[in-house]
Amino acid sequence: MKKTLYVAAREFTATVMTKGFVFGVLVTPAIIAVVVYFMPRMMNRTPPKIEGRVAIVDATGRVARPFAEHLTPEAFAKAREDARRRIAERTEGVRRSVSGTPGASEAIEQSVEAALGELPQIELEVLPADADPEQAKSLLALAPRDRQPDPHQRIALVIVHPDAVEPHGQGRYGSYDLFVRAKLDDRLVDHLHDGLRDAIVAARLHAAGMDPSRAEGLTEVRRPTSRTVTAAGEAATNEVLNILLPAAFMGLLLVSVITSGQYLLTSTVEEKSTRVVEVLLSAISARELMTGKIIGQMAVGLVVLGLYAGLGILALFSFAALGVLDPMLITFLLVFFVLAYFSYAAMMAAIGASVSEMREAQSLMTPVMLFIMIPWILWMPISRDPNSLMAIALSYIPPVSNFVILLRLTSSSPPPMWQAWLAVAVGAAGVYVLLWFAGKVFRVGLLMFGKPPTLGTLIRWARMS
Amino acid sequence: MPDAVVLKNLTKTFGETVAVRGLDLVVPQGALYGVIGPNGAGKTTTIRMILSILFPDSGELQVLGHRSALEAKDRIGYLPEERGLYKKMRVAEFLLYLARLKGMDGAGLPRQVDAWLDRVGLLGAARKRCEELSKGMQQKAQFIAAVIHRPDLLILDEPFSGLDPVNQRLLRDLVLEEHRRGATILFSTHIMVQAEQLCDHVVMIHRGEKVLDQPLSTIGSSFDPRSILFEPLDPAADVSVLHHLPGVRGVAREGSAWDVALSETAEAGEVLKAIVTTITPARIEVRRPTLEDVFVGIVAGTGAGAGSAALRQALRDEDAQEVGR
Repeated sequence: MKKTLYVAAREFTATVMTKGFVFGVLVTPAIIAVVVYFMPRMMNRTPPKIEGRVAIVDATGRVARPFAEHLTPEAFAKAREDARRRIAERTEGVRRSVSGTPGASEAIEQSVEAALGELPQIELEVLPADADPEQAKSLLALAPRDRQPDPHQRIALVIVHPDAVEPHGQGRYGSYDLFVRAKLDDRLVDHLHDGLRDAIVAARLHAAGMDPSRAEGLTEVRRPTSRTVTAAGEAATNEVLNILLPAAFMGLLLVSVITSGQYLLTSTVEEKSTRVVEVLLSAISARELMTGKIIGQMAVGLVVLGLYAGLGILALFSFAALGVLDPMLITFLLVFFVLAYFSYAAMMAAIGASVSEMREAQSLMTPVMLFIMIPWILWMPISRDPNSLMAIALSYIPPVSNFVILLRLTSSSPPPMWQAWLAVAVGAAGVYVLLWFAGKVFRVGLLMFGKPPTLGTLIRWARMS
Repeated sequence: MPDAVVLKNLTKTFGETVAVRGLDLVVPQGALYGVIGPNGAGKTTTIRMILSILFPDSGELQVLGHRSALEAKDRIGYLPEERGLYKKMRVAEFLLYLARLKGMDGAGLPRQVDAWLDRVGLLGAARKRCEELSKGMQQKAQFIAAVIHRPDLLILDEPFSGLDPVNQRLLRDLVLEEHRRGATILFSTHIMVQAEQLCDHVVMIHRGEKVLDQPLSTIGSSFDPRSILFEPLDPAADVSVLHHLPGVRGVAREGSAWDVALSETAEAGEVLKAIVTTITPARIEVRRPTLEDVFVGIVAGTGAGAGSAALRQALRDEDAQEVGR
């Protein structure tokens, strides 16, 4: 056991003391933190002002006027107010969490203002109903002078169909066409669509003898924010966290497992290619060597996991949202880390021992990576419907089970506890089989050189030893 | 006192290839055994089986009284043929790590490492990374790793390959010192001169089978080529007359000299006198077999006294088999 621990200690220090590890694992999160900190401040810069003319060819003669009302500065201000209110409703939980942080609410307001940008200055230009559309469109293609906003430049053309207000023939209404200048701000395009829709609907209601403001009152129902009721009381449902939490947990698991597994593969291939493995095997058995390496790299994985999880907890703490973390989930994260890591590490050790250089490992790695990526691919459907037949079935197929069950446990409707424990048992059985297989391949493969083996060769080695 | 190594009917195959076939070997404790044989003969496979790095398909083995080397790894030192070091590890760190894997520990260990490095002239390289060392220096560092724990059994696979003559001599002295300390030494080589200089017992493996196992001192008599090397003082002398001397079986040219083959019953001293009185020699000697003669003779299947042409042909055949293997 002492020798195994010596191997583990060397494996750990040889990995974490490298520039690659320090840069990849420590510097990358630091860069992310810096970007996250500075991004809102960088976004605080005023977006370019939008100015210009929107031309309309209105064959019905009844759309241009209500549409003009949507292009006034007041209409833009009202639309902005509506957007601000929607954002406020969606971010209620975050605002409440940061209420104790000085300047945080102001920072959010600033970010919202920045995202909405300065009010556009748009002038509506009503063209004759018989205007030539092609000629009208040609003005859109003119390049802007000096790249400066030009209040007289045509930026969009609307052609309202003759039957947009009164149905033609079989009771079907027509619509409109919108042509815009290249690279026009997408928020303005959305605003034009909304305005045209409202203007056409208002014109249709008028034509049908109805009062548009009454129709608006009858059809508007304010969407409230749902509130989650728990034993501790009720609170606004944090939809963002509901989606992010499972992804964060699975991400943590995948990053730590894959990182340490890759290091294990690399170090095994290095020991084999530099032939140092024969010296090691004269001092310790192949089983001791493999166990030591796996334990050493597990410690590396735990460092990665601890580091990223620590950053996450710190972020939750600073937003006073630590309550979303159930201690049981952290326990399960550790349990499934161990199971997922041992499964992955066993495969990496077997592959590392059977090839002579990293290039040769690629073909054997493909099926393993596919297995690991399945939970990522199925993240959305599983977290949306964590109790579907597919989610339940994948919870009992190791090594995928370790990721899937954690995803389900962190979802909005977690499975019953017995399913989690059953997945632990299945995961442990999977680990046993994989370690047994890896141990056999490791012993034979370490001293085999020559053409890279196939999966069939590995199975033959396992039966041979 | 049990023997250091006992192999009984050991066989190992890799796919269709039989690497070692029915090998029996006993290495007594304290002996210095040389395992010789052509490339691909099965020497390294045998050594790996002794060390339990590979496991035999059949047969039994005993190492330092144990049924497996795994039970006695801390008492065995091994220098493999394929030298390997952790490139990025510092030399002293590497040696400390391997010493610990060999069961050594304690506060005095770093001092022991330094003492060994000093002994082989590598103390200045203790803090260097292994990749910074020359090939010879790496080999010396590896030798330290093999002996630092003062093993009872030291196995060296081609220990001198890649070393310059000065370092070869240094390594030979260190090996002999380990032997004097009481360690059993088993080393493999295909360079016969090294085996002759170092070992007191020779085992030869050819195509996976043991074809020779005897003390070096008795090989001369067992493989007597029964011939006399003769070079006349006058290069134009008529050597054909030697055919008619009693006890002479044949005469064949060998460069500027002649190989005079003796008949089964001939007494070498009598024939030598007869040659001297017939033609004045510049040089004359009764041939003694070198280990190389024995080696090549066995490989060629022609006995130790085979002529050079036959030996060359034998080596060509052997190389062809190597390529085809």
